[in-house]
Amino acid sequence: MILSWLVLIPILGLVPLLAVSRSERAVKIVAVAVTLVELAASLVVLASFQVGEAGFQLRESAEWLPSLGIRYELGVDGISVLFLPLTTLLTAISVLYSTKTIKTRVTEFMVAFLLLEVGMVGIFMALDLFLFYVFFELMLVPMYLIIGIWGGQRRIYATLKFVLFTLAGSLLMLVAIVAVYLASGDEGHRTLSLPALIAGRGRFSADFQFWVFLAFGLAFAIKLPMFPFHTWLPDAHVEAPTAGSIILAGILLKAGGYGFLRFALPLFPYGTQAWLPAIILLSVIGILYGAIVSTVQKDLKKLVAYSSVAHMGFVTLGIFVLNLQGAMGAVLQMLNHGIVTGALFLFVGIQYEKTHRRTIADLGGLANRWPLYTTFFMVFTLASLGLPGLNGFVGEFLVLLGTFAFNPPTGLGGFFWGPLAGIGVILAAVYLLWMFQRVMFGPLREAYQKLPDLTPLEVACALPLLVLTVALGVFPQPVIAIIEPSLARILALATDPGVTAAFR
Amino acid sequence: MTDVQGVLPEIIVTLTAMLVLLGESILDRDEGGTWLPVLTATGLVAALVAGPFTMAPTPLFGGFLTVDTFTTFFRDLFIVLALVATAVSPSYLRRRGLPIGEYYALILFSTVGAMTIALASDLITLFLGLELMTIPIYVLAGMQRRDRASNEAALKYFLLGAFSSALLLYGFVWLYGVTGTTDFGGITAALRSAGPASGTTIVALALVTVGLGFKAAVVPFHQWTPDAYDGAPTPATAFMSVAPKAAAFAAILQVFGALAPLQADWTTALALLAVVTMTGGNVVAVAQRNVKRMLAYSSVAHTGYVLAAVAAFRAGDSAVAGVLFYLAAYGLMNLGAFACLLFLDTEGTRGATLTELSGLAKRHPLAGLLLAVFLVSLAGIPPTIGFVAKVFVLQPVLEAGLTWLAVAIALNAALAAFYYLRVVVHVYMYDAEEGAPRLVPSWLLQASLALTAVAVVALGIVPNALYAWALEAAAPLVR
Repeated sequence: MILSWLVLIPILGLVPLLAVSRSERAVKIVAVAVTLVELAASLVVLASFQVGEAGFQLRESAEWLPSLGIRYELGVDGISVLFLPLTTLLTAISVLYSTKTIKTRVTEFMVAFLLLEVGMVGIFMALDLFLFYVFFELMLVPMYLIIGIWGGQRRIYATLKFVLFTLAGSLLMLVAIVAVYLASGDEGHRTLSLPALIAGRGRFSADFQFWVFLAFGLAFAIKLPMFPFHTWLPDAHVEAPTAGSIILAGILLKAGGYGFLRFALPLFPYGTQAWLPAIILLSVIGILYGAIVSTVQKDLKKLVAYSSVAHMGFVTLGIFVLNLQGAMGAVLQMLNHGIVTGALFLFVGIQYEKTHRRTIADLGGLANRWPLYTTFFMVFTLASLGLPGLNGFVGEFLVLLGTFAFNPPTGLGGFFWGPLAGIGVILAAVYLLWMFQRVMFGPLREAYQKLPDLTPLEVACALPLLVLTVALGVFPQPVIAIIEPSLARILALATDPGVTAAFR
Repeated sequence: MTDVQGVLPEIIVTLTAMLVLLGESILDRDEGGTWLPVLTATGLVAALVAGPFTMAPTPLFGGFLTVDTFTTFFRDLFIVLALVATAVSPSYLRRRGLPIGEYYALILFSTVGAMTIALASDLITLFLGLELMTIPIYVLAGMQRRDRASNEAALKYFLLGAFSSALLLYGFVWLYGVTGTTDFGGITAALRSAGPASGTTIVALALVTVGLGFKAAVVPFHQWTPDAYDGAPTPATAFMSVAPKAAAFAAILQVFGALAPLQADWTTALALLAVVTMTGGNVVAVAQRNVKRMLAYSSVAHTGYVLAAVAAFRAGDSAVAGVLFYLAAYGLMNLGAFACLLFLDTEGTRGATLTELSGLAKRHPLAGLLLAVFLVSLAGIPPTIGFVAKVFVLQPVLEAGLTWLAVAIALNAALAAFYYLRVVVHVYMYDAEEGAPRLVPSWLLQASLALTAVAVVALGIVPNALYAWALEAAAPLVR
């Protein structure tokens, strides 16, 4: 029942939240409390997870739409179990930070955030395609409101663009899901349950997989986002309130990468093979394009946003070289990017709250005034550019390792793509360090003389992320041990269409 | 089981309509405003209760009517829609000084007509029901007698409606000429034994398609829709955008069900019409600033989605069930969306524009939330009934092998989301402007719409019972 509780806690939390909606202060306290309870629940899930098992654990299954064979089916494996605490942690931090920064329509904001959390934890637990889709879409409306109501100047344009891009992709995925359902068996024996679908994936012809993979891939590529579907991202990030940016970068983008690993690869091995060259090409373009465009950004938030495009390029590259190092790197990159980029957005937000400037040229010399801020920001910047010893390094390194080992029978191999992706790592150092230098060093402006350093609340928000950044950088082994068996199984399914049996 | 017992709900609704007319002449305006809606609702509920006792294993009235699961599904749907329409109307009627008794009586008569379509097992009964349903609607559209837009709406609707009825009747005549019978079962049998379609059957098919296409507002026969919807008093629009559409599709299912042997000829035609309809409706809706007009065009788009499921008829039960479920879903959410415009007091029959809706969520949080729920459902985003309805349409469409049609539905849904969510933008993300219309929230309007919104979300999460019922109702049609 613990997984269902993860879905239920934020929903049940709405009751006390709405009950005290007359007092803004009480609403904030309740919202933070609910997200902390949710965080604790996700840690219970992590603690009760059996490391070393490849299969799904803590399974829950109940009939939902019996006439269509659709089930309410939840479970976690080594990959998803790590995204749950990441989600709940980032949500708790976002809500905590928002108690200070959100000043209008506080109740609505907290309601939207809790509903968003339901969708986010849901996608990482759903083992039924229909259920996954429902959670996937459930994230949409709250985020739409969060950007549209509490966002910046061009929030309306940004939020509509975000929703329409996402919807266009996901509605095609819906068609594909129904197609998969119809292909899954004869009438009366159809299903959308992932384990059952994988066991019966022999029914999906290569031709069918080609098209269905395209539909799934589009939805995930837009969400991730992959080049050239990334154009909604800078707008959404720039206009979103800080908490929205943290969640968008930390969790929502991961839904795309997770979707590839959880559904597209194991269900459609032929489709994976067919689309693999295109995806690798786009990933490498994304890495280089994201890095180059980041370099020339004038807006601090936009810079971090474009750096996400580059970082997500590593994720798809790592997944689609189809070997354990690459895929492991991709999963770690997703987790670490969630922590680090979430933190970067938090710090850009904190800085903006104080200076009301986001244009890099208007900033400078802040290191003189804010020792604490500088230290934190420094660590996260270095982690983002992949400094060994911090968590950003581990994922990118493994992805590069996997890329060099990539050796397809036809077409360009790892020794072509590897160095190109490597250039992306170097460029990351260029734009991040240059950004840091321009923002933090140099002469301090008159206007910023009196601005205070981090408040205790801001430290409380940032500290858990800092600890994780260092800990996962120095000692990633426990995390790798959790991921490895499940990931190895997914890769076995993806690389050999003959593997179907014994999938639990 | 006597013949009369089988049509008990229809008799109850008819009697209620007469009582309402009588009541109007007895009661003064104030009393009438209070008691006539109560009387209407009581009659409708009584008809709902009487429904389950009327199932008849054999045809009634010498084969003119049947009462099967298909009938009861539509009957209950029409009654529920009429009930909601009754509940949201009173304050508007009082405010505008519209004739109260006539309004409710017309809604009731139209409902009887719609119910008759669901009862029909013969072309003649079907046509009778269709006319009985639409004629009161012409009057409803023109109810605001001193309003030019309302007059235009009524006249346009009447002329095109009469024209389409003539075409339809002409088509029925050809059909009779080809098959020698007006009985649905007989038509199916005759067509089946006749083999491939001849020229005359194709003419009959074309005429019937066009005639019914007019009634359901299929592009390119939809021209009356925006003007009629826009010019009618808003609560009447709410009703006429859903019940007649559902009834038109009941007729389409009945007729095309009887024409099932000609499927090879009409599947592609209907599929193409479906794509043209949904795309046309959505594209024009994007350009609208007046929300009432936008919803009118969007209802054309929804016709397209339903028609897609009809085109997938060869998929069997699931296609018909998809149509039924979508109609129920569409009925609730579209009626709700139109009725939400009743929160604003705009002059004439005009609906609110986007700017007039700005800041609604701040001015009246409940109204804003309700409108948002209905629009999100119309856009087909979970967890609402609009989403599951789309899934139930996509399934038969893909099962019938019409993959391109399914892709068209998906792309159209994304396009539609743009203009639905644009309304939400105005409601939630803008501040109210100077001179925004006065808010006129009555408790009845709030309560009935809140109930409808709860149904829209609850049925989106647990649609089982409704879908199972739709499947059951589909069975008699898949012969």
